[in-house]
Amino acid sequence: MKRIVHLILISLGILIFINPSASAQDTYKIGAAFALSGAIAVYGEGFKKAVDLAVEEINTAGGIKGKKIEIVYEDNKSTPKDCVTAVRKLVAVDKVPILFGPAGSSNFMAAAPVAQESKVVMLSAQGAAPALTKAGEYIFRVFPSDVLQGKGISDLCVSLKYMEVPIMYVNNDWGLGLKNVFVENFKKAGGKVTDEIPYDDGKTDYRTELIRATKGNPKAVVNLTYITSGAVMFKQTYEMGIKTQWICGSAAKAPKLVELAGKAVEGIIGTYPVFSQETKEYNAFRAAWKKKYGDDKVPIFGEYNYDMVYITAKAIEKGGYTSGGIQKALFEVAKGYRGVTGDKTFDQDRGVGSEYGVWTVKDGLIVDYKK
Amino acid sequence: MDFLFQSILNGILAGCIYALFAMGLTLIYGVLNFVNFAHGELIMWGAYFLYFLMGKPFGFPLPIALIPALLLTILLGIGMDRFVFKPLRTANRLTLLIAALGLSFLLRNGAQFLWGAELRTYGFEIKRGLRILGISITLNQVAIILTSIVCIVFVYLLFHRTRLGKSMRAVSDNLELARVMGIDSKHAIQFAWVIASVLAGVGGILLALDTNLQPGMGLINLVKAFAATLLGGVGNIWGALLGGIVIGLAENLGVLVISPGYKDAIAFGIMVLMLLIRPSALLGRQE
Repeated sequence: MKRIVHLILISLGILIFINPSASAQDTYKIGAAFALSGAIAVYGEGFKKAVDLAVEEINTAGGIKGKKIEIVYEDNKSTPKDCVTAVRKLVAVDKVPILFGPAGSSNFMAAAPVAQESKVVMLSAQGAAPALTKAGEYIFRVFPSDVLQGKGISDLCVSLKYMEVPIMYVNNDWGLGLKNVFVENFKKAGGKVTDEIPYDDGKTDYRTELIRATKGNPKAVVNLTYITSGAVMFKQTYEMGIKTQWICGSAAKAPKLVELAGKAVEGIIGTYPVFSQETKEYNAFRAAWKKKYGDDKVPIFGEYNYDMVYITAKAIEKGGYTSGGIQKALFEVAKGYRGVTGDKTFDQDRGVGSEYGVWTVKDGLIVDYKK
Repeated sequence: MDFLFQSILNGILAGCIYALFAMGLTLIYGVLNFVNFAHGELIMWGAYFLYFLMGKPFGFPLPIALIPALLLTILLGIGMDRFVFKPLRTANRLTLLIAALGLSFLLRNGAQFLWGAELRTYGFEIKRGLRILGISITLNQVAIILTSIVCIVFVYLLFHRTRLGKSMRAVSDNLELARVMGIDSKHAIQFAWVIASVLAGVGGILLALDTNLQPGMGLINLVKAFAATLLGGVGNIWGALLGGIVIGLAENLGVLVISPGYKDAIAFGIMVLMLLIRPSALLGRQE
């Protein structure tokens, strides 16, 4: 009896730890070091769904020259250390010539040198820190840099006449990078930053940070937050009866935030890289999403991940299944490519440009902000 | 001035949560002489059990789901002991420590396997807090403070006024001697797990009601609880409370002066200082 119980426990353990990723010889393997657990897994799960959708479409349409794509997912546990491990594993064990990098700029930047040294192409569909692609010529992003967004937030504050604001930010490469760009632009525009409050993501209690930020009742507070910490913060602000205008970046613009924080996020505004949702590419994407997942809750940055898979497939088709070939082909196939998120032409820093819009939460929905 | 009072309240709130967690830790340490690093997962599972019972297909309302959720947490706590720690009862401390760490990973991954890694909530509507003398407090937070006090008084009475509590303390002092004196040590140990599980479950549920559910929720707060335990004296119930509140207050008031980026450093700074200056902790255990 005892033995049986132990056996069951052991097999349960194995089930939980093992990732069922069948590997076949006749597929093009692409690595994906995603945050499937840990602090920012809330992003990783959505990314995976978007990537899976694109892969399914490409494979149904015949794959790349008859060969199917297979994504080898590796959990990066949302920490820089495990991101490095995940990328090493994908490079050394799965021997992929190209991989999709981790979400979160700190995590991506920890892993980028590994990919660069191994001469493996690494793409980011979310990383926004200005320094992200500095690691080398094998590192690309299909997401616009925060140099643009920082200015966008500053312009937004100025246009709404919030000239004295405190700024709160997630204490990592993304938050710090964006904060610096914002402060620089905001000062140039004649604004005054009254306090700077860095905080760690993924905590359960931000009350005191919030009190410090709203000391002296500022009319607006800039908060460069993620979904997790943002949901907790806005909830606690609401409970404490603090009234101020929150101004966020793009990382908080998610249906999940509204789901978690409810009416506490009503009326917050933020900037985000915009792309038209009226194009035929976007409509096709939305329809495909609804068909596969049965809802139209496209996760944050899902569209970028979707585009990333298509660009990758095109690059493999054109350059062959080698990292050097893909690296060269990426520039060519992306040039003028119109994806769901608009024009994906890479600039000389292997990044893409974008326009910035303003979002807000109204009646529990994320909509475009109108003054 | 308001923000000062509000910060003090916030510190006490955080401290109560730390204290609830620290009491469970300290209880198991007191009786079995090892630090249960899987205690954080007991906290997390407690919160998820409630989530499970309130969601489909059960859909129980909170008051009804509460008791079965705590019972499931107790079952998990006893199961932890029965299948992992009991076979290692005579093993050295390092083995126990590693077993506890391993169990912590297994349980965290298990929860992730079942519910996913994303954030979840019980889905209650958010309410504005009550405003009393310029500070705001929600009913949830009143519940946190009251429950912590009730739990502590209860555990204190149990330990010092009942036969069972006395036998637990006897086992804690000397397992062999207690056995020789005819104390049912198995019974006492099992009961310690029951109490620790209830404390963990209650703490986890309160924390989740106040914030969100997430597989890592136990772990983040356990580190602070551990600091509180050390600060208050390992194995000391009142010490756990005092340690929790001191750490809660210190980090919340400290943030008003120094950059909040160093919030965690305050707790650990105090802990290291205490260990250096007064290793016997605030309320030293009489040896």
